Amino acid sequence: MASSSSSGLTFKLHPLVIVNISDHYTRVKSQTNGCSDGGPPSPPPRVYGCVIGVQRGRTVEIFNSFELLYDPVTQSLDRAFIEKKQELYKKVFPHFYILGWYSTGSDAEESDMQIHKALMDINESPVYVLLNPSINPAQKDLPVTIYESELHVIDGIPQLIFVCSSYTIETVEAERISVDHVAHLKPSDGGSAATQLAAHLTGIHSAIKMLNSRIRVLHHYLVAMQKGEIPCENSLLRQVSSLLRRLPAIESEKFQDDFLMEYNDTLLIAYLAMFTNCSSTMNELVDKFNTAYDRHSRRGGRTAFI
Amino acid sequence: MYTVESLVAQIQGLSSSAGDLSLLLTHLKQADEFLHNESTRLFPFLEQLDPTLHSLGYLYILEASTSGPVTNEQARRLVLLISRFLTSCVADQIRLAPEKFIAVCKSFKDQVLMLEAPIRGVVPLLEAVKKLRSSEHLTTLHPDFLQICLLAKCYKTGFSILEDDIFEVDQPRDFYLYCYYGGMICIGQKRFQKALELLHNVVTAPMSSINAIAVEAFKKYVLVSLIYNGQFSTSLPKYTSSAAQRNLKTLCQLYIELANTYSIGKISELETYIQTNREKFDSDNNLGLVKQVVSSMYKRNIQRLTQTYLTLSLQDIANTVQLSSPKEAEMHVLQMIQDGEIYATINQRDGMVRFLEDPEQYKTCEMIEHIDSSIQRIMTLSKKLTAMDELISCDPLYLAKVGRERQRFDFDDFDSVPQKFNI
Repeated sequence: MASSSSSGLTFKLHPLVIVNISDHYTRVKSQTNGCSDGGPPSPPPRVYGCVIGVQRGRTVEIFNSFELLYDPVTQSLDRAFIEKKQELYKKVFPHFYILGWYSTGSDAEESDMQIHKALMDINESPVYVLLNPSINPAQKDLPVTIYESELHVIDGIPQLIFVCSSYTIETVEAERISVDHVAHLKPSDGGSAATQLAAHLTGIHSAIKMLNSRIRVLHHYLVAMQKGEIPCENSLLRQVSSLLRRLPAIESEKFQDDFLMEYNDTLLIAYLAMFTNCSSTMNELVDKFNTAYDRHSRRGGRTAFI
Repeated sequence: MYTVESLVAQIQGLSSSAGDLSLLLTHLKQADEFLHNESTRLFPFLEQLDPTLHSLGYLYILEASTSGPVTNEQARRLVLLISRFLTSCVADQIRLAPEKFIAVCKSFKDQVLMLEAPIRGVVPLLEAVKKLRSSEHLTTLHPDFLQICLLAKCYKTGFSILEDDIFEVDQPRDFYLYCYYGGMICIGQKRFQKALELLHNVVTAPMSSINAIAVEAFKKYVLVSLIYNGQFSTSLPKYTSSAAQRNLKTLCQLYIELANTYSIGKISELETYIQTNREKFDSDNNLGLVKQVVSSMYKRNIQRLTQTYLTLSLQDIANTVQLSSPKEAEMHVLQMIQDGEIYATINQRDGMVRFLEDPEQYKTCEMIEHIDSSIQRIMTLSKKLTAMDELISCDPLYLAKVGRERQRFDFDDFDSVPQKFNI
């Protein structure tokens, strides 16, 4: 059912959509699981919704999504609700159209085609975003696939089938911050304060390392240019100089004082921690020594009666 | 069969490389007894050897010739010879035979004392200590050196040795003597904090039975504690040996009384107490220290004033601290400001003293380096401590005692706890 698409459209997916779908799924799953505990675990529920965005030429950019109720009797999505939501969104984002719909599951199913066809009167070629909610720690990519529908001739009958399309992730500044926040909210094993501190410090360390390597590349480049090994490129030089001018150049004495005082405070705390560590080791050592070597030390507990 | 000539020839031949030296060492060890028998005849042969090139061989012959009793005449010659040797010998070679080296130094010290010129021994022994020093190891040489420094009153040279950390000790007696003499040198240099540390080490060192060094050290410990801290707590820390804990207080009752009188805070009472027991303090050679205790009392009282008053007139200081005149009060305060014990400014026009806060703001680069080096030091110390902790956890003596203390049947398992570990 899924082969690569030939429509030539480029898809851009915003992380907001992914977070929305996953949030919807998690909520529904925890609500259904909360009611029925005991007995065999129920199969994971499927959630449905619409995706909206902008189509400019050959680029389809999916910005946002909203949830829909699936009516298993009629096997269709709630049309009235879709219309109402569309009107509301039009007021705020006039450019957004309904581009398609989303669902969760491991693979596209036959029944999905019905929903897909039903949406075709809103958008002649809707997209189908599928999120795989099963957690596979070995998997490196996002478990999100985008399907399009194409008319293929199979066994002499023209049929609509789903074909996979490739997509890229596109982020706005605001989205980047929130995704970062969500990513750090819960460490992988829900660790204690110590692991959270370690994770935080590791993050800062890798960030500084990356900054350092990039500055080194720039520096190397500038030195080579100075020596004459590389031809001078004025545009790059202008960019570098503007970057340097943006640096915070606080050289006042007050800054120096405050900075050194804070630095010293942190060092003192580290020193105190080492002190405590050392004292506790020393204490244990002394206890052991006293037990082993002091002939007349008071012995707690029962002693052998000689 | 050995002859001294053949040995000398061997020494001259085999003193060049490390491999040769180990060969030479084995030869010399075998020939050791022979050398001792010939101890009287060995002097002329020393001329043929050069201490800088043939240190090991020279050392052996020297040790053999000094092993017996030495007369005054011989001592004069030997002192010159040994000082030359100690200043010019090669460190690597003598480290191969440290016990011989220490024996030579010991007899050198005795000879120097016999000639009653301890100052002649200071520099050679300082060189000897530096050459023998192998990271943080305490040998018999150290207390001997410190003793010479004390007798010669060269406190500064002795003090330079005390800066090193010690990790291993050969003999407990060395350690007690080292710390005791070290403490006395620090008192002579007026470094009371270091003196307190060293004397504390003697008092709390592990000892199976009380010894005189610890008793003397405890007396000085009480006095230095009063001078430096202004108080003395009679409870010794828990790592003190039980022998010390039980006996020290009864043996040094006089000094404990002194500490109690001090804590009351009245100068007159302190002085009367000292007057009545003057001879006893004198016989312990502690009278100088006791006088310093009295002067420290004034300091303590002035320091107490800094916590109550922001400004005070010199007359009031003199009255509160029971000094005779404002001039004396001014002198005391000035001295304390110079020593860094209080922070204050004296306004001479109206005779007021204003007490200030510690101006250290902890925002200089030197402070960063200082704290950083302290952190490094404590990290190495922590590693050593964990290593020692693991070592002692495997000690059979410790395991046997711990095994005995546990209940017979542990909660989790039903094997009885072994009473003895046969390793």
